[in-house]
Amino acid sequence: MARVYQVPRHAFPWLLAGALLASLPHLWRGPLWLAVVVPVLLGWRTLIQRGVLAMPGKLIRFPLLLAVIGATLYSHGTVLGPEAGVTLLVAAFALKMLEMFRLRDAYVAIILASFVLATTFLFSRDPLTTLYIGVALVVVMAALVGINDPESGVSPWRHLRQSGLMILQALPLMLVFFVLVPRMPPLWNLQVNQQQAKTGMSDSMSPGEISRLSRQSGIAFRVEFDGEVPPPAQRYWRGLTYGWFDGRRWSQALPPEVRQQEYLRFPNGPSPEWYERLLAERGEPDWRYRVVMERTGQQWLYALSVPFSNRQEVGLARDLRLVRRTDIESTFDYQVDSYQMPVAHQGLPEWERRFYTSLPQEGGNPRATQMAKDWRASATGDGAYITRLLLWFNQEEFYYTLEPPLLGENTVDEFLFRTRRGFCEHYASSFAFMLRAAGIPARIVAGYQGGELNPLGNHLLVRQYDAHVWVEAWLPGQGWVEFDPTGAVAPTRIEQGLDAALAEYGESALTGLAGALRGVPLFARLSLLADYIEFGWAKWVLGYSQQNQLEFLSRWLGKVTPQRMVMALAAVGGVIMLAMLLWMLWRVRRPRLVWWQREHRRMTQMLSRRGVPLAPHLTSAQIVQIASEYFPAAGQPLQDWQRCYDTIAYRKEITEPMVLRRQLRRLRRLVGRRLIRPIRLNPKTDLQREA
Amino acid sequence: MKRFGRTARQLWQRWLQRRIPPSRKVTLDQRRIFIFPTGYGFLFLLIAALLFIGGINYENNLLLGFSFLLVSLFLIAILHTFRNLAGVTLVAGGMRPGFAGARGALEVRVQGGAHAHRSLWLRWPGAVAEEVSVEPGQQQSLWLTVQLSRRGRQDSGRLRVETRYPLGLLRSWSLVDLDHQCLAWPKPLPGGECPASGGEDDAGQQHQRGGNEEFEGLRSYVAGDSLRLVDWKSYARGRGLNTKQFSDPAEGRLWLEWQRLPGVDPESRYSRLCYWVLELDRAGERYGLILPDGSLEPDLGPLQRERALEILALSGEGGG
Repeated sequence: MARVYQVPRHAFPWLLAGALLASLPHLWRGPLWLAVVVPVLLGWRTLIQRGVLAMPGKLIRFPLLLAVIGATLYSHGTVLGPEAGVTLLVAAFALKMLEMFRLRDAYVAIILASFVLATTFLFSRDPLTTLYIGVALVVVMAALVGINDPESGVSPWRHLRQSGLMILQALPLMLVFFVLVPRMPPLWNLQVNQQQAKTGMSDSMSPGEISRLSRQSGIAFRVEFDGEVPPPAQRYWRGLTYGWFDGRRWSQALPPEVRQQEYLRFPNGPSPEWYERLLAERGEPDWRYRVVMERTGQQWLYALSVPFSNRQEVGLARDLRLVRRTDIESTFDYQVDSYQMPVAHQGLPEWERRFYTSLPQEGGNPRATQMAKDWRASATGDGAYITRLLLWFNQEEFYYTLEPPLLGENTVDEFLFRTRRGFCEHYASSFAFMLRAAGIPARIVAGYQGGELNPLGNHLLVRQYDAHVWVEAWLPGQGWVEFDPTGAVAPTRIEQGLDAALAEYGESALTGLAGALRGVPLFARLSLLADYIEFGWAKWVLGYSQQNQLEFLSRWLGKVTPQRMVMALAAVGGVIMLAMLLWMLWRVRRPRLVWWQREHRRMTQMLSRRGVPLAPHLTSAQIVQIASEYFPAAGQPLQDWQRCYDTIAYRKEITEPMVLRRQLRRLRRLVGRRLIRPIRLNPKTDLQREA
Repeated sequence: MKRFGRTARQLWQRWLQRRIPPSRKVTLDQRRIFIFPTGYGFLFLLIAALLFIGGINYENNLLLGFSFLLVSLFLIAILHTFRNLAGVTLVAGGMRPGFAGARGALEVRVQGGAHAHRSLWLRWPGAVAEEVSVEPGQQQSLWLTVQLSRRGRQDSGRLRVETRYPLGLLRSWSLVDLDHQCLAWPKPLPGGECPASGGEDDAGQQHQRGGNEEFEGLRSYVAGDSLRLVDWKSYARGRGLNTKQFSDPAEGRLWLEWQRLPGVDPESRYSRLCYWVLELDRAGERYGLILPDGSLEPDLGPLQRERALEILALSGEGGG
């Protein structure tokens, strides 16, 4: 066999560090065995490099590969899909480090390392991760530089400098590509995020579901207002409505007689009658804002009141909520105009009335049903009935709690008359039940309520624990009207948020470290800053989509056509490349000066600025002589400076460099102060000229 | 097809000749440097393309950004790889002749420009490449072996200067004609009678000569004197290097003659003569050469050997 390729000594540290940095995020996240196997393999590789062990043969490597595939199957049940695939990739990559017989193997390992590094973005997308990956890429590329420099005795730092410089130079080009390369819709559906849980609201609600959400501090979305930010009590972010109740669970549903096309309106699609009427009735928007959503894996979008969006893929449903055509698999942002308007003109057709007053048949919750019927009979109208009900919630002994007792068969009866401890879903659910039992069309609206204002970016930060459900009822002449029974029980929830409301009842949504840290002012300020940065990140980087690109580019290119984009890409990229080439070729590295040479240069520069004509490469004596003619007042300090300078520059040993250095600087400054009154040189010649 | 290949090669050579004309000193610039991705460069771009597709399909802007960064890095690497070669000055240097059929060496001096040039690989056609790095403004001298096929002056062909530094994703190279020539001595061919005439005596006499010459005295060493004649004893006593002088009887003067190899084809005659030059040199004999187109006065020592081999190499070339 040919001689085994040896990674140069100066390149190996980067190869090892690059491999470690590339796999580290996956070790953190992946199965336990991976976190053991990879460091062991890398340690093994180090011993091989040191000459302690030989490169293992096929008889060892092949069983190892099989073992790794087996372990992946054991941990993930498959070797396909992003999770399992990345686990296998990382393990195979670490094994590749043991198979380095030729220069080619080293190349392949390093290029593979950059691929492993990139896969981290499948799981984590925050700015810190991105920074980490940038740094790790510099290290990986330093290894690539290292194996291309076969000289021995080279400093490893030179590779790092080279690779860092190249990546810095590549960044502007990358930015141009990022902005200008046309974004495309997915080529095929990879079904990659199936294993990743959907987050946020789901399309149905049973008791306990929202309170589970309320324990999460993850970010639901951020909102940037164009103008005034609405007060907390008006921040009802509608996401979806539940119209179907089965006695326990409220779910989103459409009555069978309604067709999807008539219910949901997308731009470029058919425009149903109710949508046309909405358009005709709307006036000026009350709020204009941009929502930047995190990945949810679902279609629901959140907005205030009656929302209209500019996005092609965003549609409006008849129940006045925004829906995206496809699931939100990555950061998504949309512009919304919201109108506070009565929607009575939408009308309530018979099918809708039937649907929104329907209740499970089998005579469940008899007590609540009876009370609703009695109260409605004695009330003057729907409005009066609702008011009485809300007042009842407010005055009876109801508790707002995240840990309600479990409910049995007749959830509404048990909650209203027995446990009386509940979270917003309990209040909304029983309230909607009571309305329907009294024959009033009602539905549950799920979304978020509130949001924390970040003064740095003047944007609202809505977290999962702001999840909320409330009720809308159809009142003749007024249309759908919002009621929030939770507000009747715990007004603080609406005004100040969940934490404040729970605190009144001696509870806290966030337990553990996150909860404890929230109270620390410094942490609060830091987290505001982090949120501000993350919002910018989400807005400009993660959410930069086809639509944003079109909007952004139309400002510069006018009409955006593929040809124009390619031309712009070539032009800007070409200019940058050319500029860099010129810079690289004509950059003359000035020789590094020692401190007293710098001091000399400063002196000549200072004198030149004051108009002393100094040719280059003069000795200190010549400089002092010429300068003294121009500025006789500075003669003495100039001579002192020269003596000091010559002492330093021409004496072999200097006992106290720091003292001399300070002295030289002081003398230069002294000269500077004496340069105030220049006298004319050669007054005689001037006089002669006048004569 | 074969002819087509030959014409293409000829066209290419002619184009090269116009573009990079022969010169003893060549500074590489954009006109003389070619650049193309290596296999690893294509692999790197393939990875970038995979990440791009992944970024599109996963709607992951960071994956896209990473893929763009790799592509940008590749583009920047073009500049760096080009720059690593640009500004290098190649100067034809000395020459180490060798026997035909073996290897000689040609010196190339590599001078750096304003910046460092790392990991340059230089080689003559058909020979092994050597690696060299040059610091800014410095010069490195490199002896590159050349395969010598036949006796005489041999054109080195175009020197290939190549670099893949810094990332190995691209290869930039130049093919430079340094107008450099290597001398090939005849391949020594042992055997046969020594084709020599020693003064009035016949050729065989030289063999009986052992110890016949008379010791005349010492003179101070001159470069080129045979080390065998140095008086090492006196040197060890600290009297400096001295060469022993022997009386120079007429019979010690041997003329190796081209004419004395009848019936042998010319090239083999040179080979024979070469063999005997080496033999006589080893024996410490004085010898001269008489060739159809030149002659060499008898003498001995390494200098004489060099001269003899040189005229043997160049004889018959005309004007050599």
